[in-house]
Amino acid sequence: MKNLISIIRLDWKQALRSPLWHRKLLVNLFLGLTFLYLASMFLILGIVLDDILIKIPMEGIDYNTYGGSFVLRRLNQFMLYYFFADIIIRYFMQKLPAMSVQAYLHLPLKRSKLVHFMLLKTLWSPFNLLHLLIFTPFVLELFDNLDFIPAFGWTLGFLSVIYLVNFFLVFLKRTSDVDTRVYLGMLATLIVVIALDWFGVVDFQSISGSVFNTFFLHPISVLVTILLMSFCYWLNFRYLKANMYMSRLSKTTRNEVSYVGSGILSRFGLIGRLTEMEFKFIWRNKRPKSVLLITILFLGYGLLVFPNEEYAGNYLMYVLFSIIITGMFMLNYGQYLLGWEGNHFDHILTRNVSFKDYYWSKYLLFAIVSAGAMILSIPYAYFGWEVLLVLFCVFLFNLGIGSHFIMFFGSMNPKKIDLSKGTMLNWQGVGAAQFLIIFPVLGLPLALYGIGVFFWGTTGAMLLIGTIGFLGLAGTQIWIGLLAKWLESQRYEISNDFRNQ
Amino acid sequence: MEIRIENLTKEYGSYTAVNVPALTIASGESFGLVGNNGAGKTTLFRAMLDLIEPNTGAVYIDDKATNKSEVWKAITGSYLDENFLIGHLLPEEYFDFIASLHGMSEADLKAKLEEYENLFNGEIIGGKKLIRDLSKGNQKKVGIAAALLFDPKVLVLDEPFANLDPSTQIRLKDLLKHLKTDRGVTMLISSHDLSHVTDVCERIVLLEKGQVINDIRTSAATLKELEDYFANVSASRSHSE
Repeated sequence: MKNLISIIRLDWKQALRSPLWHRKLLVNLFLGLTFLYLASMFLILGIVLDDILIKIPMEGIDYNTYGGSFVLRRLNQFMLYYFFADIIIRYFMQKLPAMSVQAYLHLPLKRSKLVHFMLLKTLWSPFNLLHLLIFTPFVLELFDNLDFIPAFGWTLGFLSVIYLVNFFLVFLKRTSDVDTRVYLGMLATLIVVIALDWFGVVDFQSISGSVFNTFFLHPISVLVTILLMSFCYWLNFRYLKANMYMSRLSKTTRNEVSYVGSGILSRFGLIGRLTEMEFKFIWRNKRPKSVLLITILFLGYGLLVFPNEEYAGNYLMYVLFSIIITGMFMLNYGQYLLGWEGNHFDHILTRNVSFKDYYWSKYLLFAIVSAGAMILSIPYAYFGWEVLLVLFCVFLFNLGIGSHFIMFFGSMNPKKIDLSKGTMLNWQGVGAAQFLIIFPVLGLPLALYGIGVFFWGTTGAMLLIGTIGFLGLAGTQIWIGLLAKWLESQRYEISNDFRNQ
Repeated sequence: MEIRIENLTKEYGSYTAVNVPALTIASGESFGLVGNNGAGKTTLFRAMLDLIEPNTGAVYIDDKATNKSEVWKAITGSYLDENFLIGHLLPEEYFDFIASLHGMSEADLKAKLEEYENLFNGEIIGGKKLIRDLSKGNQKKVGIAAALLFDPKVLVLDEPFANLDPSTQIRLKDLLKHLKTDRGVTMLISSHDLSHVTDVCERIVLLEKGQVINDIRTSAATLKELEDYFANVSASRSHSE
C-alpha cells in the first residue's frame, strides 16, 4: 500500500512537471477556457436533460402509463445509441494510460501492483468523467422520482456500463493495432447498424429500453454488468501482467521499411530533392501523415456549402471554405514548419544547404499539395463557374500571400514535435504563433473581400483577392529571401531551444 | 585546412563554458580534445560548427569565420550527436541525401560505402530499419560514415568511440589514422577514452572549466601523463568535499 501511494505520488509529479505546462500563459489560458466552456456545456446539458426528454414526442412512454419512471424509460430508449457513440469516440480519441512503467520494472515492486495502478488510472480519463458530468444532475433527480433501491440500481448499472466500455476499449486498443482495416471495419459496422435501425429491421430503441429498464425494475441485474466489467478488468490485468516487458509495452512499431530512391522531383536540383525529402518525412511519421490525410478529407468540405441553398450566393462563405480547401495542408503542416524538424535541426545547420533553399523546398511542397487540391476541386464547377473563380482566386492568394505568413509563423518559437503521436487532441507544439496565424491567413482574404465588395461588387472582390495573390506570387523571391534572413538571425536560439526540449 | 580559434568565449549566465583566447590547429593535424564532463568540449565543437552563438570571438576554418560565411559547410564533415541524423530515413537514403548535397555521383557513393563496409560490420546497409530504430552504436556508425562520406578536408567528431563495440573501435581508429596519413584530413576528436585518443591524435589539448590547461605533442609518455592528471583531479575533488 505504501508503495502504491509512492507510485501515485511520482505519477502525479510527472503530470505536474510535464513540459505541457511550460507553454505561454496565453495558450494555457485559452486551453483552460476552452475546457471550462466544454465542461459547463455538458453540465448544462445534464441539468436540462429532463426537460428535453419530457418534450420529445414518444408515444406510449408517458406519465399516465408509467408515473415517475417515465422520464428514465424515455432515456433508456436512447442509451444503446449513446454508448455506441461513446465506443466510437473512445476508440479514436481515448489515449491509453501512458505511464513510464519502464522506470519501475526493475525496482522491488510487485508486478501486479503496477498493473492495478495502470488500470485504475484509466478511471480518471476525461472520457469517463464526461459521463459523470452529464448524468450527475440527472441521477440526483432520479432519487427524487424513484424509490431508493431502483434508483440506486439504475445508477450502479449505468456506472458499471461506463467502466465496462472503458476497460473493454482499453483492452481492445492494447491488443490490436489501430490500422486502416480496423477503421474500415468500424465504419462498416456503423453503417450497417444505422441502416438496420433506419429501415426498421431491428428496433434498437426498444432493445435499448428493455436492457436499461432492467436496471431499475430488477436492481439485482446490475450484478451481470458488474461481473462483465470485472471480467474485462481481469482480461486487461492478465494481458498486462504477462506482457509488461519493456520491448512489448513501448508501442514504437518498428516496421520494416523499404529503400526509396530519388524520384522525379530530384531532377529539379537541390530544392526538388529537399522537397522529396519532405514527402518522405510526411509519409513515414504518424502525425504529419495524419495531417496529409485530413487535408484529403477536407477536399470534400465544399460539399457542405456550395450545393447548400442556405449559402447560395453567400460569397463570404465561399471564400472561407475555399481558403480551407486549398490551404488546409499548408496551414496544418506549416504551422509547425520547424517543429517537425526539432530532432535533426543540427543536421540542417551543419549541412551545406542555404536557408533560402530550405524555405524554397518548403514552399515547393506547399505549392504542389495546394495545386493538387486545386486541380481535384475543379469538379466544384458543377455548382457554377463562379465557385471555380472563387476557388482559383483564393488559391492564388494562399500561394502568394498565405503561404509566406504560414512559413513565418511556423518558424516562430518552434517546439519540438513528437512524431510518433497522432493528431487527435494533440496540443504539443501549440504556441501563440498557432493562434496568430489565423489573422493573416483567414482574416486578410476576408477583409480584402469586404473591401472589394464595397467598391466593385462580388466579382471585383474575387479579382482583388486573386490580384493580390498574384502580386504576392510574383514577389516570392523577395519573401523567401526575407524569411531566410530572419531564420539566420534566429538560428542559435532555435537550435538551443530544440536541444533543451 | 587550418583552423584558428580567436578569443572565443561562451558564457551561460555567470558560468563560463568556454574561454579560449587563441588556438591554432594546423592543416592536416590530428587534434584530440580531452577533459571531464562539463569541461566544455562539446560546447567548443558546437561553437566551431556555428551551432551556438559565442559571446566573443570566432572560429576560422581556412581563414573564414564559421559564423559569417557558410563555405566551410562544403568541406567540413561533423558528427556530434543524434541531432545530426534524420531519424525517418534508412541509412542508405540518408547517405544518398548527403551525397547529393555534395554533388557526388552514384558510383562515388557506392565506392565510398564499400570502403566503410568493414566499419559497418554488415549491420547498416541493406537492413530495413530506419535510423531512429537503430541501436545507439549503429546510429553513431551512420553519423560518422555520413561525416566522412564526401572526403571532407576537416572532420569534427564528438566522442566517436563511445557506444561502439571493441572491434569497431579498433577499425575506426585504423580508418582515422589512414585518413590522416593518406588524405591529410584535419581532424578534431574529443574522447573520454585516453588510450584511443592518444593513439589517434598527434596533439592533445586538455580542457578544464572551458580553458586550455595543457597542450601536448603526443609521445610515448602522454598516456601516463594524462592518466595521472585525471586521477589527481578526482582525488583533489574528493578531498575538498
